[in-house]
Amino acid sequence: MNVDYIVAMLMISFGLYCLLIKRNLIKMVIGLEILTFGIHLFLISMGYREGGIAPIVTSTNPASVVATMGVDPLPQALVLTSIVIDVCVTAMLLSLAIYAYKHYKTLDTSELRRLKG
Amino acid sequence: MEFGPGFWGPIVATIVMLLGAVFAYLMLLGSRRIAKVRPSIAKRSTYGCGEEVKPEEVTADSEQFYSPIRRVFKPFYRYIQPGHSGKLNTYLLWVVIGFVVLMVAIALVLR
Amino acid sequence: MIEAAPILAIIIPLMGSFLTPLISILTKRYKKERIRDLFVVAIVIVTLLLVLHMLPTVWSGNIIVYRLGNWTPPWGICLAIDGLNILVALIVSGIAALVSIYSLMYMKNDTGLEKYYTLLLLLLASMMGVTLTGDFFNLFVFFEIMSVSAYALVAFRRNWDSIEASIKYMVIGSLGASLVLLGISFTYSLVGSLNIADIAQKISIIGTNPLPPVLILILALLMTGFCIKIAMVPFHAWMPDAYQAAPSAVAALFAAGTTTVGVYVMLRIIYILFGVAALGVMLIVLGSVTMVVGALMALVQRDLKRLLAYSGISQVGYILLGVGFGTALGIEGGLFHLLNNAIYKALLFMCAGAIFYRVGTCNLDELGGLSKNMPITAGLFTIGALAISGVPPFNGFASKWTIYIAGIQAGKAFFTLLAIIVSVLTLAYLLKAINAIFLGQRPKRFENVKEAPMTMIFPMMFLAVLCIVLGVLPSLGIDIVSPAYNALTNQHGYIRAVLGGI
Repeated sequence: MNVDYIVAMLMISFGLYCLLIKRNLIKMVIGLEILTFGIHLFLISMGYREGGIAPIVTSTNPASVVATMGVDPLPQALVLTSIVIDVCVTAMLLSLAIYAYKHYKTLDTSELRRLKG
Repeated sequence: MEFGPGFWGPIVATIVMLLGAVFAYLMLLGSRRIAKVRPSIAKRSTYGCGEEVKPEEVTADSEQFYSPIRRVFKPFYRYIQPGHSGKLNTYLLWVVIGFVVLMVAIALVLR
Repeated sequence: MIEAAPILAIIIPLMGSFLTPLISILTKRYKKERIRDLFVVAIVIVTLLLVLHMLPTVWSGNIIVYRLGNWTPPWGICLAIDGLNILVALIVSGIAALVSIYSLMYMKNDTGLEKYYTLLLLLLASMMGVTLTGDFFNLFVFFEIMSVSAYALVAFRRNWDSIEASIKYMVIGSLGASLVLLGISFTYSLVGSLNIADIAQKISIIGTNPLPPVLILILALLMTGFCIKIAMVPFHAWMPDAYQAAPSAVAALFAAGTTTVGVYVMLRIIYILFGVAALGVMLIVLGSVTMVVGALMALVQRDLKRLLAYSGISQVGYILLGVGFGTALGIEGGLFHLLNNAIYKALLFMCAGAIFYRVGTCNLDELGGLSKNMPITAGLFTIGALAISGVPPFNGFASKWTIYIAGIQAGKAFFTLLAIIVSVLTLAYLLKAINAIFLGQRPKRFENVKEAPMTMIFPMMFLAVLCIVLGVLPSLGIDIVSPAYNALTNQHGYIRAVLGGI
């Protein structure tokens, strides 16, 4: 059992717990962030190879050495894209939290229930 | 379209419906010419049990409009409708419970 | 046929959305803001023309494959367009063209319109991206762009209800997108590739007879994430709030565009990517629960747009029910209902927007007797309401009749009976809405309400004419939908066309 996978699963469950139990909107945003970071950690550690080197082709590491001994670069590209998307979503959530405080005078999500039914 | 027992011809049915509507309208015009109906104002306004009712107040309450149907589906309106309470944490709990139910259902169907 | 038509259909709205703020600065200086609005309408119509241009090639049986940068798949990203893709692209670009013409007049009283048009074009570009792509992670990226544009458009008016609806939509939607990312990472660890055709080939080699247990987890994660987008029960909680608070033009685009795209992605995952057509039984049960909950909640609503949102949830249940039956007639009925749902849902939301534009409220308790003031809107709303309930000779009857016959032929009479009862309940709540808005006594302050402007009536009339035409000639609808059915059951043809001679 790889320690990376255990930590990633722990982070995902902590993020989910935070999202379900906490009622402050900022704490829910932090929980969502921890959840997303756990998924990124899981994705990167899936490409790991035991005793591998960085997947960069230089003069001392020609392409054949990188192909047999390098870690997988594709999950790293996926995680870079996903980090950018996550930044956008967090920025928008925080600006909506500012507007919510202006309208409702509170950030408690159990008070944000004027639209119900 | 025809599949299985029965036949539904949309063009024929549309023409028959239009002919029926035209026929009913002609009957309405003809009957208005034969018997002129002039009800008084009191007969055309809404009855308010003897009181005067303004036009703004003459609406049926939208929520209680279908109270017989509400009585038939009483278990739904007692348990599931209050579940839509508007709180965000309840909705997220539904998502997690739905995920677990989906996982169990897929495991049952695919094994 | 233009070689680069698939990628142009994604790039042109994307470039348009980046150019819109610049054009807005120029037109604001010379005080001719109409040019910016007409520029947006022109870009959307160009996208629609590109999709129509690709139609004859795809409908004659070929699958168009466009390789980005000439990299061969599975090492490069490709766009693969078969019958199912082109149907959804046609629906999305057609409804977006009508919504952009509608919002020329509808958003007249709002400020900050350059941001609205930018987000609208970004939404269109991302919906075309999700529809036309052949790569799984590319689908996730465009799906996230679509979600973020949707969150921003719901909160456009910055009232208290828009902010609250957008927060709820955003938190639930982000949770769903994270679950989709987790599902994609598990898929990558299972097969080592991200191209849809390549994953399909490798999973069919692994086989489902000794089923790898991780496949259950993958399917559950992906289905949860995409079912949040199409608002299936129990993931539907964000939808009534979001549709109530969004501007009506945007709500029409959501109901017809993002829901259709979400259903397309679910069908692509279940039938072509993983090839587990046996999940149809689960879709039938979930579809029935969705239908019933949507209809029963819509019976007790006070607000018109919330009622229409629950009605949309109910119709998605019909689509899943039809597709889940598994027979040829069932899948064709479900896809035909997808097309019809886009048409009459957009029509109903546009009528609700016309009422809100002229009167200022959507509360059923305060409206009344508007049929003397707005006769055209009343007629079009009635056509939409009768079409959605499945009354002949409109298009709703044709697709619902196909689903009922498919249900009886598949032997599932209980679900067919449930569908008929829900259809009656649909007629019930829409008649309540028509009675509360258009019939009855008119309050004194609505004496001078005028008819909706012509720019708003024209798209609604076009959709109503489509309702009637598809109802009187249902064979036309089945002809539009049958290439999609052939593509859905033809997994080998898709793999062979995309991966070529590899």
